[in-house]
Amino acid sequence: MKSFKKHIPHYISLFAIFFAGVLGFYLFSYDKSFQIGVAIALAGSYVSWGIIHHVIHKDIYLSVILEYVAVAILGLVMILSLILRG
Amino acid sequence: MDFIEKTLHLFLPRASNNHKAKILHPSGLLVLASFFILFQAVLNFIPKLGPSILGYASQISPDEIIRLTNEKRAQAGLPSLTLNGTLSVAAQSKGNDMIIKDYWAHIAPDGTQPWSFFTSAGYRYRYAGENLARDFSSASSAVDAWMNSPTHRENILNSKYKEIGIGVVEGDLAGVDTTIIVQFFGSTYVDNIAQPVAANNPINDNPTIKPTIKPTIAATISPTSSPIPIIAIASPVSTVEAIFTTSKIQQFIISPFATTRAISLSVVGLLVVVFLVDSFFVSKKGIARIAGRSFAHVSFLGMIMAIILILKAGKIL
Repeated sequence: MKSFKKHIPHYISLFAIFFAGVLGFYLFSYDKSFQIGVAIALAGSYVSWGIIHHVIHKDIYLSVILEYVAVAILGLVMILSLILRG
Repeated sequence: MDFIEKTLHLFLPRASNNHKAKILHPSGLLVLASFFILFQAVLNFIPKLGPSILGYASQISPDEIIRLTNEKRAQAGLPSLTLNGTLSVAAQSKGNDMIIKDYWAHIAPDGTQPWSFFTSAGYRYRYAGENLARDFSSASSAVDAWMNSPTHRENILNSKYKEIGIGVVEGDLAGVDTTIIVQFFGSTYVDNIAQPVAANNPINDNPTIKPTIKPTIAATISPTSSPIPIIAIASPVSTVEAIFTTSKIQQFIISPFATTRAISLSVVGLLVVVFLVDSFFVSKKGIARIAGRSFAHVSFLGMIMAIILILKAGKIL
C-alpha cells in the first residue's frame, strides 16, 4: 500500500491502459481482428509499464521482467483462446 | 503429508519457495499458460476422435429474429420487413448448404454465390442482402451482434429491402455442433416500382455481399405461371433441419466457449486469491524480496476477468 501511494501517477497510467482495453473490447465486440490487436497491445503495454515502473523505482531485475512477461502471456493466452473460440 | 507440503509450497510463500508461492513464479505461470494451450488443443482434437460432443446450445426462433429486426428498423424510422416464405426457403437452403459442404462463408468453396439460393428458391430479386451468424445462444444476441457491426447494421437498416427470410439450421460444422442463422433480405421488381432512384444505386458492398441489379428476368421464374411456394410462417423449419436436430436429441453437448470461459475465470480467480494471500503474508512478516508489484498483477488479472466476462460466443459474417 505504501508503494501504491508513492506511485499513484504510475497506477493512474496503468488503470488508463486497462480502461482503454476493456472499452475497446466492449465497443468493438463484432471485430475479432481488432480485439486480437487490443489483447496483444494490452499485454505489451503491461510488460512495458512494469519495466518502466521498476526502472524508475530502481529495482529492475531480470526475474521481475520475467514475472510481468509471464503474467501478460497467461492473460493473453486466455483472451485469445476465447476470441478464437467465440 | 507430502501432498499438503506440496500444496503449501504451491500456494503460500514459504522458505521452500523463496517466500513466494510457487504458482506465482514466472515458471509456475508459464506452466499454467502451457496447460491452457494444451487444453485448447485437446478441445480442437476431440471432434477428430469420434462422437460429436462439442456444441453450442441455442434457442433461436426465426420469428423472434424477424421481430427484433423490425424493432431495430422501427427505431430507425424504417418500415417493417415482411416475411417472405420463398426467402425463408432460400435462407434455409443456404444454411443447409453450409452444413453439408462444411463451410462458413458467404461464398461456397465451389464458388456458389449467395444469390443463387435466391433464384433457386424462386425469388426474383432486385436487391438482395445476406447476414450470417453462428454459435449464438439466443436470437437477441445474434441481432445485437449484427447491429454492432456497421456493415451488417447497414443491411438491417436498408430502406431498399422490403422482405425478409430467415433460415435456422442446426448441424455439425468443423466437428462442432452449432446453429447457423441465415438472414436474407430482398425486394423484388414489383416492390420497387415506386423507387426508380434505386436503379442508379445498386447495393454491392461486402460483407453483406449484395448483387447488382439483374437486367433480365430469369426465364424459368414466373410468379404468375409457377407460383412461389409459401412456407407457413409459424413453422419455417424445413425437413433438412429436422434431420439435423433429431440426431442431437438427448446428446451431451460441451460448449467449447463456455468451457474455456469457465476455466479461464477459475484460473484468474485462483491467481487473484493467491496473489492477495501472498501479499498479506509478505506484508505481515515484513519479507523483503525481489518481485513485481502484486497490486499491479491483481489489477491486470481483474482486467482480464472483465474482458472474459465481456466476450461472448457467436460469430457473424
